[in-house]
Amino acid sequence: MADTPIGVVYNTSMTRPDAALALAAMYLGELKRESHMGAVCVVGAGFNAALFCDIIGKMYSFGQKNGNQALAVGLAIEPGVPDSPMVKTAVEHNYPRTLQRVQDTSLPEAVLRNGVIFNTDSVVILSGPATYLAKSLDLQGTKDLYKARVKRLVIVDSPTQDKDAAALRKVIAEWPTPIFFSPKAVGDALLFPGANLDKAFAWAQPHPIVDAYKAYKTMPYDAPLYDLAATHYAVHPDSGFFTLSASGNVVRADDGSMRFVPGSGNVKAIAIDPAKKADLLAALITASTEKPVQPAPPAGRGGRGGSGRGAFGASGGRGVIPQGIPPAIAK
Amino acid sequence: MIVTKKAIHRRTMLKGLGAALSLPLLDSMIPAFAEASTAPVRLAWFYLPNGIDMRNWTPPAEGALPAELPNILAPFSSIRNDVTVISNLTANWGRPLQVGAGDHGRALAAYMTGVEVYRTAGADLKLTTSADQIAARANGSQTALPSLEIGLEEARMTGNCDNGYSCAYTYNVSWKTETQPLPPISDPKNLFERLFGSDIAESPAAHAKRLAMRQSILDSVLGDTHKMEANLGPSDRRKLDEYLTSVREIEQQVEKASKSTTIIDPGMDKPFGVPPEYADYFRLMSDMLLVAFKADITRISTFMIGREGSTRAYPEIGVPDGHHPLTHHMGNMDMLEKVRQINVLHATAMAAFLKKMKETKEGDSNLLDNSLIVYGSGLSDGNVHTHDQLPTLLAGKGGGYINPGRHIIYQRETPVANLFATMLERVGVRPEHVGDSTGRLAGLTLS
Repeated sequence: MADTPIGVVYNTSMTRPDAALALAAMYLGELKRESHMGAVCVVGAGFNAALFCDIIGKMYSFGQKNGNQALAVGLAIEPGVPDSPMVKTAVEHNYPRTLQRVQDTSLPEAVLRNGVIFNTDSVVILSGPATYLAKSLDLQGTKDLYKARVKRLVIVDSPTQDKDAAALRKVIAEWPTPIFFSPKAVGDALLFPGANLDKAFAWAQPHPIVDAYKAYKTMPYDAPLYDLAATHYAVHPDSGFFTLSASGNVVRADDGSMRFVPGSGNVKAIAIDPAKKADLLAALITASTEKPVQPAPPAGRGGRGGSGRGAFGASGGRGVIPQGIPPAIAK
Repeated sequence: MIVTKKAIHRRTMLKGLGAALSLPLLDSMIPAFAEASTAPVRLAWFYLPNGIDMRNWTPPAEGALPAELPNILAPFSSIRNDVTVISNLTANWGRPLQVGAGDHGRALAAYMTGVEVYRTAGADLKLTTSADQIAARANGSQTALPSLEIGLEEARMTGNCDNGYSCAYTYNVSWKTETQPLPPISDPKNLFERLFGSDIAESPAAHAKRLAMRQSILDSVLGDTHKMEANLGPSDRRKLDEYLTSVREIEQQVEKASKSTTIIDPGMDKPFGVPPEYADYFRLMSDMLLVAFKADITRISTFMIGREGSTRAYPEIGVPDGHHPLTHHMGNMDMLEKVRQINVLHATAMAAFLKKMKETKEGDSNLLDNSLIVYGSGLSDGNVHTHDQLPTLLAGKGGGYINPGRHIIYQRETPVANLFATMLERVGVRPEHVGDSTGRLAGLTLS
């Protein structure tokens, strides 16, 4: 575990279950002090997607946080963008939340930049449209900021990725630090076992991620883990689960999907080490479904908390129920 | 409007032995049958220290401001259609981020510039040009004074004022360059003389002679005044008389204050010649700003209501405790109530100033209509030092630029620098960025 948790900035459309699972893993990583949430920004979906992210954040946090400690979920307010059907059930539940109205969300280009400023070092995970990440590059001093503080940008391919090809091209062309591409094949190879969903989240029922998973598609089904796998690589590039390609570039195919092309370019593609695929899947499932545990006080105030391997490793699931989970539904 | 045969130049001055006095905008200065008022737009930043009791500041809903405003904003009720309450703006670089403590050390500097505040208690200050000075750099040559920096606490330029942050960051609102703050004038007499004395036209020798003779600046320009009055219509004669009366009243207040020996508070440096009660001090200094705007001596100003971390006590309203310690109330209702009282005192003084601005006719409009004046802070909750959801009130219309009377709620993390960029645009200044701005404030302006 790194001495200083690495910041995570997540640009998502929050329209698939793997995005919800990735978000849970990010917050669990924060509780173990292996990462620290810089910003979550919803692009390409409506207010309910941001509200869903807020609910997850609340569920996996302990105590109230002010604006110095956590940034409100970002939202690209774009008229006509349909809301994510997946999140409808969850937001209609009475889960605790901090967002009440659209203005409670954060300005997207500002929260992406400020999320990086929040941490000494960060990783950026680009899953939703690149519109506002590209826009942030034009803000004063931001390229230099990213160059100094962002260790890597991980671009996720998925069936629903990228509705703004121009912005993605700009990001790839101008991004000042290493870029990694997680091809669709990575997510397709890692399937969450839908039949085990209720058991995995038995520690709190109802659970917004369970609601979302079931609302996404007729059960039972196994969800590909596009964003979750990319998040793992972003935070733990040395885990040994992945291999890297030579440098190349990412282009959009005629069907709208992205494709990695070896050759000139500043992007490397990740691939799963076949021998470690089962272990990787197990790690991802644990990392995204385990029960949140209140961290021990940091060093100097009673010892450093967290488990040895962090959110993407194995750890116990005992501890205080987070404030965001009503006692009536906490088990 | 009275149409006179000959227009008077906008920058005409009344001159006399060792003195020169700018004039307010008179009807005679507006060319006959002009299609639009030529009144310039004034910009001002009034900085509140130590945050606000936000429970009693934020209107409950977006939209038209109701007649009954939250307690701290209540003093603005009668001019609610002249102000805009703006919610959710952020000064990100004021936050602790990786640096930690020093929120007061950063708050004001980050608010006015939108950049990281370099932590030093030494001479190696590093910030950037503040929003007001961006305007002054572009437009300052149009007036006698490019800008006017006023403060209600004596400026300090050195020393460690908060966890390694120089006092220069907490005592100065305006920064001309990344290393050069512009100390605010806190002595009423110095401010008066800057506006009407040697800084403008009076030679040092003449200035000394006039003071030795205890002569009013108005007496010095009496001859020129009579000549001008003869060429003015009734409306302009009345305006000129009102203006000269206000200058005289200020001069008398300054004279009176200079003789005061009352101590404000043992814990605070008392500048020479400062009225002991806060409200009087605010009124005297803001009256001079009003005259400066009215006479077009300057169009850009900052006004430090209190320095960041101010420990000023307000015994005159039953608050003998220091402001800053009170804001760390930890939920103590008695302390919170005292914070609210201080916040109301400041708002009452500010509202009175704005009302005077509104009562000051200027062509077919008034001075407030032709201004954009920010009343705000780089901290919201002073207890925990939050630098987002900042208390922000924008007064005036900027000469038909915005439609006030509303509460506008922006998305969180919207930089407060976006507001400043919007204000600068009104006076024709369009820098690519103002600190960490991401653009202009959509929905604020009429265009």
